[in-house]
Amino acid sequence: MIVFLQSLMSGVLIGGVYALIGIGLTIIFGVMRVINFAHGDILMIGMYLTYFLFTLLGIDPFLSVVICIPVMFVFGALTQKLFINRMLGALPQNQILLTIGLGLIMSNTIMLLFTSDYKILTTTYSSSSVDLAGISVSEPLAISFVITAVITAILYWFLMKTDTGQAIRATAQDREAAQLMGINVRWTSILAFGIGSALAGTAGALISPTYYIFPQVGSAFTLKAFVITVLGGMGSIVGATIGGIIIGVTESMSAVYISSGWKEVVVYVLFLLVLLFKPSGLMGTSRM
Amino acid sequence: MVILEVKNVSKFFGGLAANSDVSFNVEQGMIMGLIGPNGAGKTTLFNCITGYYPPSRGDVTFDGRRMNGLQPNQVCKLGMARTWQKVRPLAKMSVLDNVMVGALCRTNSLKVARELAMEQVKVVRLEHRLNFPAGGLPIGERKKLEVARVLATQPKLLLLDEIMGGLNPAESDEIIKLIFEIKKDGITQVVIEHDMKAIMRISERIVVINSGEKLAEGTPAEIVANPEVVEAYLGSEH
Amino acid sequence: MSANLSVAGQRGVSPLGLGLFALALVALLLFPLFVNSPYALHMMILLFLSVIMGESWNILGGYAGQYSVGHAAYFGVGAYTTMILMTAKGIPPWFGAWAGVVMVIGVALIIGSICFRLRGPYFVLASIAVAEIMRLSAFNLKDLTNGAEGILAVSVPPLTIGGTVITDFLSKVPFYYFGLGLALLTIAVTWAVEHSKLGYFFQAIREDQDAAHSLGISLTLYKNIALVISAIFTSLAGSYYAIYVGFVDPNTVLPLDLSVQIVLISIIGGIGTLFGPVVGALVLVPLSEALRSNLITKALFSIGLVSESSKIGAFLQENLSHAHVLIYGVLVVIVILFMPEGVLGFVSRLVHKITRRDA
Repeated sequence: MIVFLQSLMSGVLIGGVYALIGIGLTIIFGVMRVINFAHGDILMIGMYLTYFLFTLLGIDPFLSVVICIPVMFVFGALTQKLFINRMLGALPQNQILLTIGLGLIMSNTIMLLFTSDYKILTTTYSSSSVDLAGISVSEPLAISFVITAVITAILYWFLMKTDTGQAIRATAQDREAAQLMGINVRWTSILAFGIGSALAGTAGALISPTYYIFPQVGSAFTLKAFVITVLGGMGSIVGATIGGIIIGVTESMSAVYISSGWKEVVVYVLFLLVLLFKPSGLMGTSRM
Repeated sequence: MVILEVKNVSKFFGGLAANSDVSFNVEQGMIMGLIGPNGAGKTTLFNCITGYYPPSRGDVTFDGRRMNGLQPNQVCKLGMARTWQKVRPLAKMSVLDNVMVGALCRTNSLKVARELAMEQVKVVRLEHRLNFPAGGLPIGERKKLEVARVLATQPKLLLLDEIMGGLNPAESDEIIKLIFEIKKDGITQVVIEHDMKAIMRISERIVVINSGEKLAEGTPAEIVANPEVVEAYLGSEH
Repeated sequence: MSANLSVAGQRGVSPLGLGLFALALVALLLFPLFVNSPYALHMMILLFLSVIMGESWNILGGYAGQYSVGHAAYFGVGAYTTMILMTAKGIPPWFGAWAGVVMVIGVALIIGSICFRLRGPYFVLASIAVAEIMRLSAFNLKDLTNGAEGILAVSVPPLTIGGTVITDFLSKVPFYYFGLGLALLTIAVTWAVEHSKLGYFFQAIREDQDAAHSLGISLTLYKNIALVISAIFTSLAGSYYAIYVGFVDPNTVLPLDLSVQIVLISIIGGIGTLFGPVVGALVLVPLSEALRSNLITKALFSIGLVSESSKIGAFLQENLSHAHVLIYGVLVVIVILFMPEGVLGFVSRLVHKITRRDA
């Protein structure tokens, strides 16, 4: 029973971070209908940013989230403006290839600059855990979860209560109608990509104390992010949140009850099943 | 002889009834007009009849054969073909190649298909565009291409969905001439149109659809005189 | 809009084109007789491999419009089947490769039944997921595949026909001819598809799936035909690669990187055209080799653009050799944004513009 609760707990905690990645991807898809295959690589850049802030300036990874968010936002916004904006009307297959190309550029530039050596970010609390009613809870994961929850709440408030947020949601719901209402859809697209990138980069920052950092780490996250967003329903933030937790738990349970080698296979098989039987996901529509 | 029998066809999307209990028969060789205000459910009906999706309720019988649940390609092979409200040219392929795709429905030989295609290209008078990529054609020629392509599948029944939409009077006239020529070849036609003058000219019988239901059926004269029909069209072009 | 040269059934090959092709063919056949360098032969073999992979993918992705970004799955099936049969059962690769083909037809049909229900981006994602499942399975099914360690072939059995040894595969020359033959075969199959009912139907599906469906084309049947043809030749490429290199492991024959590279060959050269993948291979293979062997760096040094002793020079020398994937990424972005019809399309439009001006 303890084992079950333990793996459930770690699953939920990592699921929170997964949710953050998924939310970023779903916002990008919701607003721009672009399938961003560079999402995991943006996460990877967030990881490296955090790593260098820590090793060069001694800034704690969780504190560096404050720097990570704006920096990654700008990074994403620039990427959108320079490259992706030109492709908004193109075939989805070509959009995917473009983002794949951008992802390759990101991961390989990092590899060129910093080599493929695995980097580890160890903080004083990297391996500490807290005891919660007999279940060992990893401290860094717990802190990540809390920060994720806070960010998600702020994001939700932003999208629901602010004018800009509502403009973004309107664009996601119906781009043409939003344009007719005077919303600058080009700007909302840039904002959406910026926000999505900020979330991905932040997720990278949050997991940097617990994951190996290397240039290729992004691709596994990209695919997982897609599983999460498809499961939750492309364009739905609530869906991505639930999807993230589900995937986190599925992975965690599979690692414990099947084997760690097969855990990702389980996630991908789940993905195929969702695509086959409920491609619109849990939440169904592209409404944020 | 009845070639198409639509019996109590309904189509629901979630809670919305796009078609509600629609019934009518089409006699072989006739031109039947299908009219109704925008959003009345005419295209939905076409989609149900041709297998794009199955009707939620009711039966579609073509040439004595029940069509419910058949795939669009099977429907085409059986002799019922349709054009699309928003034209669908195979953009990167040439005009001739587009029509050949239709012809290849009936033959495996490229040579025969090419001959069959050439015939239809001549019928719609697009010979000057043989090798032109379909995506670059102006709207009038795209519509003609769509007709040529669908004729190449040698249909017994042709469903035309707003084939005159977006055309100027001269182009519409050409299409009307085409429709009469197609009738001469013995092909039955069901034509959805908004252009009232055109519908009155070509149709032997008209079915009126409004809000998913069949409102009226009769000869053009009967339909024009029908007060309910006139009321349904209040506000739309006439 | 000028007539697109990739239109199917374009009648009449220009005599110039035919002549050039014949000339190239003769040159390729005679090449190993005049060139002894194993390095040059190796380069040609890599070229042939790229052509085979590119042309196969092009049938499904270029003509039928189904962008699979998981073609490594078929490559891996061919590679592993051939290797396993050879090392575990002593079955020579020219039979093993056909076993690979049989396997891959089964795999392709299963994948097709899952993925073809999905449209556009979802199809791409599913194809990636499937290939990843295969790669991870190759890691985990250690009894079959030796897991992460991979399978090493000590040697290839000699090819004998009726007791006479044709070749013992000790030099690169037999690999060269096998590769050339396979590449020509794949091009020939593409040509045959392009000039048949299949070609018309594939392209109709690519251009507008629903319209094609309504014109009597069974989407399931034809998509699967395209997939199976594509998978067969990708699998043969995998078998060929496995025997040539003599080693397979999950990260060399089944990774996402490989799937992306396969797509790139057609995208960069000219998707949906007969020779597009050849052009793509001609761009990618020399480029990545030039990077790998520091040719570009040396060239920059020799023309004096960069000083060998400078920091930039040292940096380039050390790192540019690893940069070929980066260059792939840059190429993809440039091609997608500015040359969607690939190098071939770009060049042919240029030629068209020039010849039009003369007219």
